[in-house]
Amino acid sequence: MGQVESKTGSFGIITTTLELAVNWGRKYSLWPLTFGLACCAIEMMASGASRFDISRFGAEVFRGSPRQSDLMIVSGRVSNKMAPVVKRLYEQMPYPKWVIAMGDCSSVGGPFNNYAIVQGVDRLIPVDVYVPGCPPRPEALFYALTLLQEKVQKQEKLGERV
Amino acid sequence: MNNPTIEKLKTQFPDAVQDVSEFRGDAVVTLSRETLLDAARFLRDDPDLQYNLLVDLTSVDRRDLGIEPRFATVYELYSIPKNHRVRLKVPLPWDDATEMPECPSVTEVWPAANWHEREAYDLMGIEFAGHPWLRRILMPDNWVGHPLRKDYPLGGEPVYFTADREDPRFAHLGRQTMEGPSYPSELPEGVDSETHLVINMGPQHPATHGVLRLAVELEGERIVSANPDIGYLHSGFEKTGENRRYEKFIPYTDRMDYLAGMNNNLAYVLTVEKLLGVEVPPRAQYIRVILAELQRIASHLFWLATHAHDVSGTIHSLLMYCLRERERILDIFEMFCGARLTTTGMSVGGLRRDIPGAFPDAVRAFVRDFRGYLKEYEAMLTDNPIWLSRLKGIGVLKADDAIALGVTGPMLRAAGISFDLRKAQPYSSYDHFDFDIPTATESDSYARYLVRLREMEQSLRIVEQAINRLPGGPVRTDDRKVAPPPREEIDRSMESLIHHFKLYTEGYKPPVGEVYGMAENPKGVLGFYLVSDGSAIPYRLRVRGPSFVNLQATNLLAQGHLLSDLVTLIGSIDIVLGEVDR
Repeated sequence: MGQVESKTGSFGIITTTLELAVNWGRKYSLWPLTFGLACCAIEMMASGASRFDISRFGAEVFRGSPRQSDLMIVSGRVSNKMAPVVKRLYEQMPYPKWVIAMGDCSSVGGPFNNYAIVQGVDRLIPVDVYVPGCPPRPEALFYALTLLQEKVQKQEKLGERV
Repeated sequence: MNNPTIEKLKTQFPDAVQDVSEFRGDAVVTLSRETLLDAARFLRDDPDLQYNLLVDLTSVDRRDLGIEPRFATVYELYSIPKNHRVRLKVPLPWDDATEMPECPSVTEVWPAANWHEREAYDLMGIEFAGHPWLRRILMPDNWVGHPLRKDYPLGGEPVYFTADREDPRFAHLGRQTMEGPSYPSELPEGVDSETHLVINMGPQHPATHGVLRLAVELEGERIVSANPDIGYLHSGFEKTGENRRYEKFIPYTDRMDYLAGMNNNLAYVLTVEKLLGVEVPPRAQYIRVILAELQRIASHLFWLATHAHDVSGTIHSLLMYCLRERERILDIFEMFCGARLTTTGMSVGGLRRDIPGAFPDAVRAFVRDFRGYLKEYEAMLTDNPIWLSRLKGIGVLKADDAIALGVTGPMLRAAGISFDLRKAQPYSSYDHFDFDIPTATESDSYARYLVRLREMEQSLRIVEQAINRLPGGPVRTDDRKVAPPPREEIDRSMESLIHHFKLYTEGYKPPVGEVYGMAENPKGVLGFYLVSDGSAIPYRLRVRGPSFVNLQATNLLAQGHLLSDLVTLIGSIDIVLGEVDR
């Protein structure tokens, strides 16, 4: 944020750039897609539920439609049959959008180095944050979320297709 | 051999029975292909046999075993009224002139065979004559080859431990994906897209519990047919298992039904132990029961949470309650093995380590508190008018249909059949505990809800008895060919050092043979079929996922209901796609 000038009896004034203000808003209101693939999806649900509570990070508004969401958490292994679906879902999301590859399978294929599984979802769509773990604990997902928030804050040009 | 089934088969079909063998208590009858259908009908209808449940249908590629003919189909049969099992094996003569070996379809005898045969066609390349709609089921329609054949490579990519993008070896990465772009499967036969509206549900849908795709045929709001299209999470478990040592497949079992990792572990290690002929110490058996029953509660809790969430948004708080209690079970697992979900909690021959000191008190505290929580759930749901109107009378699956379709677990018990492997064929000392099998007669979604709720109560009873009567002693077998010696022994004894070295470099080698192991999972009967060729790696590993078989009932359940009831139905079948697609 920029400088804060306060005068007695009136509101303070914050001067900043448009990018910083918009990014600041964006990073605390990420809307993930309700998109569960495998085991990691269960940990993703646990992240949203009572004990861990993903809303502490402003990302609890899980949307059923890709057209309403800006964060895709690829939670689980992506099979060859699923690959085109994942790609289409990503393309249906409006810009700006981000991707978290949750777990070993979506990052690099995990223990499934075989004919059926795509060896990392980054073969299909660009990934912003990788979370290791099989499956990662909810805390690890939250750490990834905070890393992504840092990245969102640093985005330089608005409206850019990044 | 005084097996009445085999005697009867021999008298009825004297020329057809080619061979009879027995290994570790499993009877295997080799039949000729021509008499398979007659024998199947006889086995099902004979009043003394009544093999009404087709547990599993699979196939083996025996190329590397050197047995002619190369392919054989395997039928694991179970008789619910008589409580006995038999396995049929049908060698399929095959000349290279035809593309695939042919086998008669048994779908008219046991409708459950439908998806099993499609899977064998898809992954092994066996033609089933007389099958109503033989298409690929797990792989994309345009896939080339049959992955479970022994001449099909495991696939995957080489792993390089460098991060240099300029490296020419990276050029091929990603080609595996790009080579075969897949497309949605075609509509099943009989779907009339001219006069009816066909809509696509999934694979990305919040209420399909994963990546299930349904082609729903509608007339107005009424469902004419709902055909599941699965395979979106096919991960090649069986092929992977056939390239790993027996012990190394245990972590994979966690990732099949990832809501019931402990139960999967238990079913798998029991099968390997059966193959090896290893005895497990009583303490380990009791601890296994505690872990498996806690996992059953956790699985049912997750089912209740998501089901209530799907059916009615107003019971959303139940999701939070159920997951809160589930976290306490996961804490207990974490205390025991360090993992929450994918536990790998059991080991062949027992357990890796004993329970920590705080374990019994944590379990007792949970059992005490959870009784109260269960009453809360009942108060919220059992007489809730929204819950009743969404569940009562929806998805009626009568007992005969359920058995014919191979449906097991709470779905079968909600249809009034008191079939539970923990009672019928007790394993891991379940016969030491006093518990009931809850059943219901309405066979609708509400009955299934009640059965699962009562099952949680019974699981609490088992856990309580087991933790209070926990015997002392070791938690792992002292068979040094299977379990490693304790660390301190290695320092003192040369023999222990050798055992340790052999076990970790070569693994254990079971005798040549084949076994079928079953256990009662939260969702139904989980079966493992293992064929050993005497090496440290299973020759054939087959998984019978209960969700896979139960999901077959979707079409029958959905017909005539409203589109909005489909969500209730999928929830009440309780599927986990990791296990459906394997």
